[in-house]
Amino acid sequence: MAEWAANFSDLFYKCFIKEDRYKLLLSGIGVTVKVSLLAIVIGILIGMLIAMCNLSKKKFLKFLGGIYTDIIRGTPSVTQLMIIYFVIFATVDLDKWIIAAIAFGINSGAYVSEIIRAGILSIDKGQAEAGRSLGLNAYQTMTRIIIPQAVKNIFPALCNEFIVLIKETAIVGYVGLMDIQKAGDFIKSATFIAFMPLIGTAVIYYVLIKILTLLLGRIETRLRKSDAR
Amino acid sequence: MIKVKNLHKSFGDLNVLNGIDEHITQGEVVVVIGPSGSGKSTFLRCLNQLETATEGEIYVDDELITTPKVNVNRIRQKMGMVFQQFNLFPHLTIMDNITLAPVLLKKMTKAEAVKKGEELLARVNLSEKANAYPAQLSGGQKQRVAIARALAMDPEIMLFDEPTSALDPEMVGEVLDVMKDLAKSGMTMVIVTHEMGFAREVASRVLFIDQGVVMESGTPEEVFGNPQNERTKNFLSKVL
Repeated sequence: MAEWAANFSDLFYKCFIKEDRYKLLLSGIGVTVKVSLLAIVIGILIGMLIAMCNLSKKKFLKFLGGIYTDIIRGTPSVTQLMIIYFVIFATVDLDKWIIAAIAFGINSGAYVSEIIRAGILSIDKGQAEAGRSLGLNAYQTMTRIIIPQAVKNIFPALCNEFIVLIKETAIVGYVGLMDIQKAGDFIKSATFIAFMPLIGTAVIYYVLIKILTLLLGRIETRLRKSDAR
Repeated sequence: MIKVKNLHKSFGDLNVLNGIDEHITQGEVVVVIGPSGSGKSTFLRCLNQLETATEGEIYVDDELITTPKVNVNRIRQKMGMVFQQFNLFPHLTIMDNITLAPVLLKKMTKAEAVKKGEELLARVNLSEKANAYPAQLSGGQKQRVAIARALAMDPEIMLFDEPTSALDPEMVGEVLDVMKDLAKSGMTMVIVTHEMGFAREVASRVLFIDQGVVMESGTPEEVFGNPQNERTKNFLSKVL
């Protein structure tokens, strides 16, 4: 047991303390959080836009929304990230992390739009009819009656999408960003030790997502409070 | 007040209404009866354009409403609608259910709307429920709130689409009582219902609709007491 502990602390020292390697991981956490947060915001905005297109009665908008979702879902996110970084934004002078966040936002938007669409369709048709029969227009009915109810249905699925998105950002190393995953990988190459840096990476992701889950869980409880029964 | 001319409605290949001509005048309480699938609910829903007529014309206060040019939202503000499934807004309190439309559509200030809401809740005997949520109410109470909500817009006409069909039997009476009061106050009403006793008591006119046409129309005494049409006789013999 003592031998194992000594061995463990030796590995720990070599991977994280020596040459200040923990700083790599810390800045990696910063990159992951930055990219994820901006991507979530972009994803929600795009998601709302595409959901509106998909729910629209206009054929052209429906078509556009359909194509968007189809292409994003039909191609790997690594490929999308690299196309956006090396092709579309090749000549644009933006911080790497912002371009990456845009790529993940575009990807997430397709999934978010489906979540929003399903949430809105889950509200009984009678609710819209009641709103319209009182003389509200379609927009007022949507914003005052349908969306406030749909939010509660949408929220849990949206949380799930955020979590998927954060883990998905582990591929930003492909465009040269040093996030948590890449930092762990770098330590692995520098030390020739696989176990400690990779387990460390996993633990950091796990803790990050655990914190997010707890926060979102609290918000959801608050949302449910208005469900007076 | 409402004139209907040659109203047709089909859903795909299914012809639900096959030419209805009807004239509903101010203060009338028209009760529409007929077998399931006869088109009575569709007829009612066409009146406030929840369904778009396939053919024919509807005039409200001499204004043609079966045209894309008309502002349906303005027309609907003149017509309150009560649904079989109540359709209260579950995320809003009872008072907010009632005040939402008048305030949002700038008919009243919030204070005026609340005052009106209190009057209406008193009228349907639910004053103590103003701050409750719909999920806390019984079916009969929900439907009475739905009536109050429709009345909050000061409609000229009230449409009822089988208002008691989703209720437990012991709650039917309380909703019908509110409707009787409303009829006595002179409100123009069009009611689709299966409550024949209520129809007989309250209707100024009874319409029997079957296969998408008005088969028979007359006072309750005429339609119930001495039906002329074979189908009416047949239907009444089953439900009375």
